[in-house]
Amino acid sequence: MPTAASSTDGPVAAARRAVVDVVHLVRFRAAHGRRRLLAGAGATVLALTTAVAVVPAFLPGAGGVDGRARELLIVLPTALAGFVLLAVVSAAASGGGRELLARDPAAVFPVSPTTDHLGALLLAPLNIAWLLQAWLLLGVTAYGVGAGALAPAQVVVLLWLAAGTAFAQVLAWSLEGVRRLPHGMAAVRVLNLVVLGVALWLQVSDRLTDVLDAVPTRGVVVSLAFGVTPRWAVTTAALLVVVVVLVALGAVPAHLAARRTPRDELKVESGRYPARSMPRSPLGAMVRTDRASVWRAVPMRRGVIVLALGPALVALLGDLQWDTMTILPGLVASGGALLYGVNAWCLDSRGTLWRESLPVPPGTVFDARAYVLAEFLLSASVLTVVVAGLRAGVPSAAELSALCSTLVVVTVQVVGASMRWSSARPYAVDLRSSRATPAPPAMMVAYSSRLALSTTLTGVLFSLLTRAPSPWVSLSLAVAMVAWSTARLLRAREAWVDPVERARVVTTVAVS
Amino acid sequence: MLPPTDADVLVDVRGLHVRFGEIEAVAGVDLTGHAGQSTALLGRNGAGKSTTMRVLAGVVPPSAGTVVVDGHDVAHHPLRVKQSVGYCPDVGGLVPRATPWEHLQLSARLRRLPAWEDRARDLLERFELGDVAHRVTAGFSHGMGRRLSVVLAALHDPAVLLLDEPFDGVDPIGVEATLAVISDARARGACVLVSTHLRELAVEACSTVSVLRGGSRVATLAASEMLGEDGARAYRGLLD
Repeated sequence: MPTAASSTDGPVAAARRAVVDVVHLVRFRAAHGRRRLLAGAGATVLALTTAVAVVPAFLPGAGGVDGRARELLIVLPTALAGFVLLAVVSAAASGGGRELLARDPAAVFPVSPTTDHLGALLLAPLNIAWLLQAWLLLGVTAYGVGAGALAPAQVVVLLWLAAGTAFAQVLAWSLEGVRRLPHGMAAVRVLNLVVLGVALWLQVSDRLTDVLDAVPTRGVVVSLAFGVTPRWAVTTAALLVVVVVLVALGAVPAHLAARRTPRDELKVESGRYPARSMPRSPLGAMVRTDRASVWRAVPMRRGVIVLALGPALVALLGDLQWDTMTILPGLVASGGALLYGVNAWCLDSRGTLWRESLPVPPGTVFDARAYVLAEFLLSASVLTVVVAGLRAGVPSAAELSALCSTLVVVTVQVVGASMRWSSARPYAVDLRSSRATPAPPAMMVAYSSRLALSTTLTGVLFSLLTRAPSPWVSLSLAVAMVAWSTARLLRAREAWVDPVERARVVTTVAVS
Repeated sequence: MLPPTDADVLVDVRGLHVRFGEIEAVAGVDLTGHAGQSTALLGRNGAGKSTTMRVLAGVVPPSAGTVVVDGHDVAHHPLRVKQSVGYCPDVGGLVPRATPWEHLQLSARLRRLPAWEDRARDLLERFELGDVAHRVTAGFSHGMGRRLSVVLAALHDPAVLLLDEPFDGVDPIGVEATLAVISDARARGACVLVSTHLRELAVEACSTVSVLRGGSRVATLAASEMLGEDGARAYRGLLD
């Protein structure tokens, strides 16, 4: 009996099959991961989500008609809109969202673009930026409305999260479809510049606050603030319809994009790269090869631009001052490491076996990989700080010292953690597609949480030191922190130099 | 041709064991390769051929046993072994976002090869890869990737040439070029080891054949004994 999908199947049957296929793919992915680890991670996320959605409602002052609770409800419409904006940027930067099954292994299975779209939707929350924003919205809502209206309010927020994510997915697939048209890449770049220009114009002309006040999310907040009311019922029903419609609608641009070749990947793979002069040293040769692997990869190039410019523009529009700018380098460096650094040995993919057969000391290979990662992270962080600081005036000596210290410390911290994880948990990944990630989704959440925690703490610490009486305070602390992180990096190097350990990593990333 | 002597031994494997956790990929392989001689490694999937090749290339350390390549013990002098060996891995073997020329340049730099460019261009032309020398390998077909892997293994005229599945998915011109590389290597006194599932090509390329089964060597024969229908039957008998 033929089992292949029939072209005569109706859209409902096709949608049902796509949903069933998503379940199969999730089971397939889960079977490859460590079940206890996955179950533990899932339970932790669920427990944290429940806690942030409930506990603030029982804190003193929660649900008050004036004071902090009211202030939070006033900023909630902007926060709801900000969530959608972040979801759009995240989905668009990753070329339509993450893959439930990587493209090459998926090619042998009849995975439809609808299944791919639903899988990307399912994976969207497995992202620390998405989770943090969602927790923020749930927590602010709980404190704002208090215990009395908690349940109905959180229903609306959860539906908003689903609607915002589905909307972002529709827009991301549409942009990906446009990007794959002739001149589409140029069109998307022009669109980005126009959006950027409008945002800057609004800020410069002092109209940004008016625009934020006029966002339609105010109606959503009004409907959730007073418990179960007719308005709440209408909003809930409307959001439910919007979610269903957007989820279904996303399949259309997903199909359109899937029919076209990704032009940015094609450009990299068919382009000519003229021969360059001979590198001066073995280390130089290794660095050059690693740099090519990084900067010729579509996900890395696109990701680093979004990472460097996104926070910088938010800081620019929000008029961020030097004393709080120390938060930015950690954010950018953590994001940069998540593009490939947490699984740095996968850069060579199947070429790892050949590279390992070359007569070069393993320490040199490690040094080159760590150097290129540090360079990648630092260049993005410096660009962010330079753009973010355009309106911040001239920094004081203490501010400059704290900011430079943060840049160096978080870079060494993130490189050290990345190189440790790269050896401890290598994965065979092809970073060819803009949708590829260096590790499975659950591990990406774990890595991003740990990186975000450590680098944010560092940023906050140096933020406090911008008020120190002498710039030497920051520099002295930076020396100590760099020494600690360097010691950990050297331990990761020792592990790599061990031939048995290295063989395990090499055969995993090249063969699995 | 004179019979090989002990002085000609370039590959000497004794009691090789390779374990990955609880899995024993190689369970006591003994193997000898002489200068000017080519040996085919045959066997079913999982017989230990590729793992043995990886040990000889210095990529995977032996768990037990001694492996000496061109006079160097792989456990103690892996860098010297890598200097002596040219290795074409069984899978991929290419850095996806580097061009063939960049692969060759990296190899030449790390091996301190003088005036390597003419040799590199010649090899690329012989394997019909001259037109794509400056394109990244991510866009290559499987056969193109295999051909480039052989070019990379042969660039520095290694004392020991290790070719793991060099004919897999390769067109007739690529097969001929690979056979020529093996022949040239033998002529200049190199030891060649070829791992393949293609018995007829193994017989054509090599003078002796070693059959591995379950991580151990079960037979070493003259290649002529593996010829034709009789050879196929003999090989089939060694696999079971």
